[in-house]
Order: sequence, then structure tokens, then C-alpha cells
Amino acid sequence: MSKVAITVNGTLHTKEVEDRTLLVQFLRDHLGLTGTHVGCDTTQCGACTVIVDGKAVKSCTILAASIEGASVSTVEGLADGEKLHDVQAAFHEHHGLQCGFCTPGMIMASVNMIERHDGVLDEATVRHELEGNLCRCTGYHNIIKAVLSAAEKHRTAHAVAAE
Amino acid sequence: MGSPLHKSTSGHGTAVLEKPEPAGLSPEMELVRDALFRHVGKPLPRKEDGRLITGKGRFSDDFSLPGQTFAAMVRSPYPHARILGIDTSEALASPGVLAVLTGADLLADGLEPIPHNPVPSTKFDVKLTAAGGGIPFTGPHYLLPVDKARHVGEAVAVVIAETAAQAADAAEKVFVDYEELPHVTETAKAALPGAPAVWDEVPNNVFIDSSFGDEAGTAAAFAAADHVVTAEFHIGRVTAVPIEPRSSLGHFDDETGRYTLYAGSGGAVRQKGELAKVLGIEPKNLRVLSYDVGGNFGARNRVYVEFGLVLWASKKIGRPVKYTATRSEAFLTDYQGRDLITKVELALDREGKFLAMRADNLSNVGGRCVSLSPLSKGSGLITGSYHIPVATLRARAVFTNTMCTQAYRSSGRPEVTYAIERLVEKAARELGFDKLELRRKNLVSPDMMPYTNAVGSIYDSGEYEKNMDRALELADWGGFEVRREEAAGRGKLLGRGFANYVESSIGSPKERAEIEIKQDGTVEVVIGTQPSGQGHETSFAQVVADMIQVPVEKVWIILGDTDIVSVGGGSHSGRSMRHAGTVMAMASADLLKEGRRRAAEHFGADFDAIDFESGHFKLRGTNQTIDIFTLGDLTREKDGPLRVARDNEMHTPVFPNGAAICEVEVDPETGHVLITSYATVDDVGRCINPLIVHGQTHGGIAQGVGQAMWELCAVDASSGQPLAGSFMDYGMPRSDNMPSFKCEIAEVISPTNPLGIKAGGEGGTTPALATVVNAVLDSLKDYGVTDIDMPVTPHAVWRAIHQSKGERDARAS
Repeated sequence: MSKVAITVNGTLHTKEVEDRTLLVQFLRDHLGLTGTHVGCDTTQCGACTVIVDGKAVKSCTILAASIEGASVSTVEGLADGEKLHDVQAAFHEHHGLQCGFCTPGMIMASVNMIERHDGVLDEATVRHELEGNLCRCTGYHNIIKAVLSAAEKHRTAHAVAAE
Repeated sequence: MGSPLHKSTSGHGTAVLEKPEPAGLSPEMELVRDALFRHVGKPLPRKEDGRLITGKGRFSDDFSLPGQTFAAMVRSPYPHARILGIDTSEALASPGVLAVLTGADLLADGLEPIPHNPVPSTKFDVKLTAAGGGIPFTGPHYLLPVDKARHVGEAVAVVIAETAAQAADAAEKVFVDYEELPHVTETAKAALPGAPAVWDEVPNNVFIDSSFGDEAGTAAAFAAADHVVTAEFHIGRVTAVPIEPRSSLGHFDDETGRYTLYAGSGGAVRQKGELAKVLGIEPKNLRVLSYDVGGNFGARNRVYVEFGLVLWASKKIGRPVKYTATRSEAFLTDYQGRDLITKVELALDREGKFLAMRADNLSNVGGRCVSLSPLSKGSGLITGSYHIPVATLRARAVFTNTMCTQAYRSSGRPEVTYAIERLVEKAARELGFDKLELRRKNLVSPDMMPYTNAVGSIYDSGEYEKNMDRALELADWGGFEVRREEAAGRGKLLGRGFANYVESSIGSPKERAEIEIKQDGTVEVVIGTQPSGQGHETSFAQVVADMIQVPVEKVWIILGDTDIVSVGGGSHSGRSMRHAGTVMAMASADLLKEGRRRAAEHFGADFDAIDFESGHFKLRGTNQTIDIFTLGDLTREKDGPLRVARDNEMHTPVFPNGAAICEVEVDPETGHVLITSYATVDDVGRCINPLIVHGQTHGGIAQGVGQAMWELCAVDASSGQPLAGSFMDYGMPRSDNMPSFKCEIAEVISPTNPLGIKAGGEGGTTPALATVVNAVLDSLKDYGVTDIDMPVTPHAVWRAIHQSKGERDARAS
């Protein structure tokens, strides 16, 4: 057992957990944050994607203890009260989700992608960078539209800020 | 010998049929229909998104109960083995273990097999029987077997422990004494004499053997034909891969004597009825909750053994039991899809007119029969979009030592569409016809509708040639040569593939809607369908809101809890909008009628003096009005809540149809296939929410493309071991190997139901297998490649090129 202290969505949580506890289990079972999902057992589906210290990572493949002291963002922490994050809003507007199971991971991967590229994205790049997130419902078409739309918003907002 | 289906006449597809007319509509029905049609077709964003994009979805594994325990399955490593005994002692002594249960325990407690009722039985389903016409033996499905394991991965025992990890550890300590038996996993081999028998009751494994159509007429037509073209295809085994793995949480309440099951499925009402029979309890003592479901595609439409096991175990140990499958278990034991061997023959005259068709279809159901949907639904559509006056079909189903198959996205139709579209292209190539013109001249035309095909299916409506023309336009078929040359300049081979399709939507015939005007100013609608991404909370709210003319924000759809939903067919076969839409229209009409009655009483006037408009009842000729919510409030004490319930039953199938075209760029060095464009036209009947329908088409296309390009539940025949156990082995459509789509909806109103709806959920998949493979073959035609099996992986393409080259070199030398 280890005592693990991780900040999740801005709140510090300290829990005593088995050493083999994966980050996704820490989030779902120990913190009750069930928005992050488990879709596979070979680190390939991306449903578990969260952001750890600014990096999009698959939480099914990290031990919670190994990121002791880190800061984690999950889908539950994206919206600002009632105000949705641009990426969430874009997924809704462009029908980028159907069953919703891959969606949290897809959204977190997209949030991180837009930040890393500062919103400068095209279809080919978005498709390439979402290769690690599987969706079985949408055929990806509307997901790509949603991400490009949110990226555009990001560019506009930053261009305005730059002026 | 062959027997005609229903009243299909022999010889020519002109059965005596009454065009189904909606029975004379009541004034209220007219009103709701007109109101709906004024607003229908809006691409409204979805109401259910709110919780799903903020991480507040309610998927089955998200639920936990105090004191819950965890189950792990002990699974057979052999494809076929007798169970001589199970030693649970070491497992029982393992830390945290509360129980280890086997098939023997199950029988001792009197549990029954799952009543899958796999033989299709709606009025319009093809009638499948055992050889000679008898009732088929389908293989009982006990939650745990006592006699044998019949496929790799079959659960033979279950361990319950305090934690999932403890249960998994203990499962490895259960000692099962297996006697390995000869196995057969291959579809064709299992039907040959001498194959090992999966069930003693069916020594030759072929438990369905039925023939249809006009044998004499077909034989005569073939004998007189100028041309005969034959082909054989194996449409292989794939699996649904919903991104949410199966999960179930069972609980027994001692005080109330009731069981509760949280388990995402394709329809909680059906699950409740079947599980009650398994447990030997009254259905009212089981509550099933299916809230958010992370994908279904057919695989969730049948009861899984673990649903019964967690319920049974929870009563035995007095604590809730949860089981969530790993993805590896999902690959091994999700109900799988397809696996059909089809031998087809087409007879043509000199001008290329289709005269007759023969098909021999063999469906691999796995270790036991859970469903005959693929074989049955495919059987009714072997002639596809074409007028083929006579046909015969032999439909067989065979047991093998593989996981059970079940309906999967467009159940049975992609298989037979693949067969007819590839056969037609083969005919065009061998006989020197243009592949589009050959199709065009044989299409079923609008003036033939309703059209009874040679195996008895009655296509309700459709404009097939118009779909073709529009698809060719959308795909810029005419501009292909320019693109082909450009690709050739880069060393790539460009090919284009075309496929027509017509598919069927039948579905469970019964549905029920309850509508109540609530005191809080909302409208509550209870319905028995089960969405897993199709957006019912939005599209159904849209339908009711439009019909009773209130804002859609005020309408809330309740589903998934059998304590609230008493009757419902679930969601499958594209049934939902058609069945739910119709019964909601009827319930809305009933609601408005009752509202008018109350309004008349309220105004002290005659019933006939009341009009309804924009959510208000008005006394004609005055300015007295009352909105429906206020009316409900005022009359609640005297008349009870303003609430109606309506049941409806519809048996007539509908036939969505369309065309799909794709272009592929093949690298002849590596065999890599890239889809550069994909265009479709889909006639869904009346389209309620185009945003949602397009989404369904996109996802459907991806699943069809996936099977054509990458997906296969490969099994090593000699060992009987499944080889695709994870995403490392099972290729998937991904964001970087799929194109964006050009999809258009065609609305040819169906005369079969008051709202004119067909279905939009499966048309994307139906032609996709044929479209992609036809495109790949087109790209390779200069190499002399005329056939290739799915999936068209780089290796398959490379091999086809080199094999063909080798054959030509051999002929030349």
C-alpha cells in the first residue's frame, strides 16, 4: 500500500492505495470520478485519456503512485461552472459523439492537441493525432469537424488576445 | 423441396398485394401528423450530450452498491472439451474469496437456460426449419455448462471475491479437469460428413436446412439462359467492438424479495423477461436498469451469461456482485457477427437481363444458436435491388466450436449485398457488359412498387435509379479518369467501387408509449426503445414536441428502467424511430383528444367547438384559450393527471435503400489501400433529424469499411484458438485510416406507417463491403486480379498481385 497525493482538477487528493492501482482506477474507484473510461487492456483505445502535468496520457497505463505530486485534468474539470469548454461545445454542436463512451478521452486528447499546436491544425494532422483514440459510433467524420472548429475558435481567441 | 414464402407466386414477382394504407386517420392523428411534418427534419443538437461531454454519463460500470463484490470467470482454454470435474478448493481458500460456483451448482438450484428463442418468428421473417421441416435444435444455453465447453473462452465457473483483483487471482486457481475433444472451427468443414459433432443431438452440425423459392421455375430459367455466372464468397467473422466493454451489477434485496440488475443492453424489457425465466422468478421481482450504453450494434441484444450469474450469486452470498469484462474477454466472448459462406449463380439472357438466381447460404452460428437473424434477414434479400423473376435459396446454419454469432449492424444484409453486387460485377466483366449499365437495366423500378422479390420480400417503396444517378454525381464518377492518371503519376493505382443496396427493417412488432403532462411544466414520455448512441432522447423529444406543439426543451424521454417501462421492443434492426414514432403519434393524438374533452368541460362547451394550436386549446369563435399545462393542472384533482398510454403493433417491414461509391488508392509495392473518397445516397423514408441520421450513416460506413479492410476474428483451425484477442491483432477503423464522407439523404415516404419512416441506422454498412472490395479489384484489374477475400489488408493485396503475376507468367512460359 502507498499513500498517494495527486491534484485532480485543482483539488489535492491523498489516498492510501494498493501499489498496483492504475491512475484510471484511482480516478474512478477512489475519487468517484467515473467520467474517465476503460475501453481496452492494451493501451490502444484512448478512452482513458487524461492530462497529467500538461501531457495527454492513457491513465490505464500509469500507476497512480508513479505520478505522486502531479496535477491531473479530467473531463469533469473542463467546464467552468455552466460554461462548457470550447472543445466540449464543439463536440455537441457538430454531433461528435453518439454513445459517449469514447468521448471523455477524445475530448481530453483534443484539448491537449489544440494547446500543443496553438490551434493551428488541419484535417490530416487532427486525424493523425487522434489515431490513439478509437470511436466505433461516429466514423470520426464529425469528431474531426468538432476539433477543427474548436481549433479555429482557439486561434481567433489568441489572435484577439495578441492584438 | 423448395417452398414459396408466404404467398409469393411462382414465376414472376407480381404477387397479389394490397398496398398498405394507413387506416383512416382520426382528426387527432391528422393533426399530430401535420404538426410533425411542418417541423420535421431539423438537425437539432442532442439533449443527451450534456452529461456525456462532462463526464457524467451513467454507464453500467459507473454504478456501485455498498458492500459490492466482484466476479471473475473461469474460461475454457479449449475449443471443445468434456468437463470431467471442477476442483474449487484452492480457489475457495484464496484471499477474499466468498464463493466459487459451477454448472453443477446452477443445476442444483434449478436455474433454466437462457430462452434466446433464436428462430425468427415475426410475421414477415423467413421461416427457418431443421432439414425436413421440423423444429430445429438450437443448443440450450445454461449460464454455466455441465457437460462440455464448446468454444475457447466459454465460462465454466465463476469466482466471487471482495475485489476484482482477488477474484481474478482466485480464478486461476480453479482446477478444471478437461478431456480435450476433436474440434471444428471452420464454417464449411463443420457441415461436411465426418466433422466432430458440437452437439450430440445434431450429429452433422447442420441444424437449419430450409429451401425457398420456385425450384422448377428457376431450373427452367437456368436451363434456357444464354449466360450463367457463378461465384462463392466467405464473408468472414467480425466482432462489434463497442468501446464500452460489457458490465453488469446484480443485487438481491432480502426484504422485498426483488432482484436488481444494472446492465447496459439493447432492451431492458426483453432482458428482464428472459432472466426471470432463467432464475425461475416472477418478472415483477426483477428490475433491469439500462441507462447509458456505450455502443451496441447488435452484440448487446441478447442476454449474456454473466447477467444471470451476478443475480444468482448476489442472492447466494447476500451481497451485490459486479462483473466487468476486460477487452480480451470482450474479443473472446462478445456475441460475434457475420460468418456466411454463400454460393451464388445468376442466369442472364443475351442482352444482360437477369432471369434467375440460385443461392446456397451457410451461416456459422458458433457453439450454440443465440440468433438466426443474420441468416434469416439475408435470405429475404438475396436478389438485392434487381428484378430477378425467379430464385431459389437453400439456407443452412451450422454449429462450430467458436463463439456464438448474433446480429451485427445490418444483420445479414451486408453479406447478401456483397454477394449480389460482386456477382453482378463478375457478370459484367466476364460477359463484356458495362457494370453500371448492367445494373441499371435490371433495377427494380418505382412503378413495380410495392415489389415482391423472388423470395417473398415485399419492398415498400424506393427510387433506385434516382439513387444511382445522384450517387454517381456526388462521387464525380465522370471525373475519375483524371484522378486515376494523377495517381498513376505518383506510382499509385486508383480504383473505384460501386454498390446498390436495399435492406430491410422489421424489428419486434410491439411498442408502447406513455405521455404525461407534468405539474412542473414538462412533458414526460416513457418509451421502450434502448438507445446506445442513436439520440432517442433528442429525436423522440423532437417528435412529441412537434406533435403536441410545445417547445422541445420541455419534453423528456424516459427509458431503460423496467420499473417504469413495462413494454418495449428495445432497439435493433432500425426499428426505433418507426415503431416509437408511430406509437408516440398515436399517444399524442390520444392525449390531445383527452385534452380537448377536458377543455370542452372547462369552457362549458361542446367537444367539437374546441381547436388545438401551438400548445393551446381554444374555444372556437371566442378568445378563450388555455394552454395544455394549465389545463392539466386545473383538471388534475377531478380527472387525474393528463396522461395517456398507448400500445401498438406493426408487422410490415420497410426497405431502406441507396447506393455507395468509393475510390481507393493502392500502392502496388506495399499493398496498402487508402480510401480517398466515399459517397452515399440513402433513402431512409421520412427523416426526422438529419444530424442524427448522418451520424448513423457515418458510423455504419465505418463498420462496413472496417470489415472490408482490417477486421477479422481469425481462428487457427488446427488448434481452434482465436488469434484476435486484442487491438494489437484486430484491425480497426481509426481516425487516420478513414476518409471524410459525402452523404446525402433521400426521402421516399414509406406507405407502411403513418409517419412514412423507413430506417437510417444500418444503410451505411449494407453496401460498404461490396463498395470497397469492388474498388480494390478495379484498382488491380490491370494485374489481372479478379477476386480477393476480405479483409483487404496490404498482405492480401500484395499476395493477389503476385499470385496473379505468377499465374500469368506461368501461362506465358
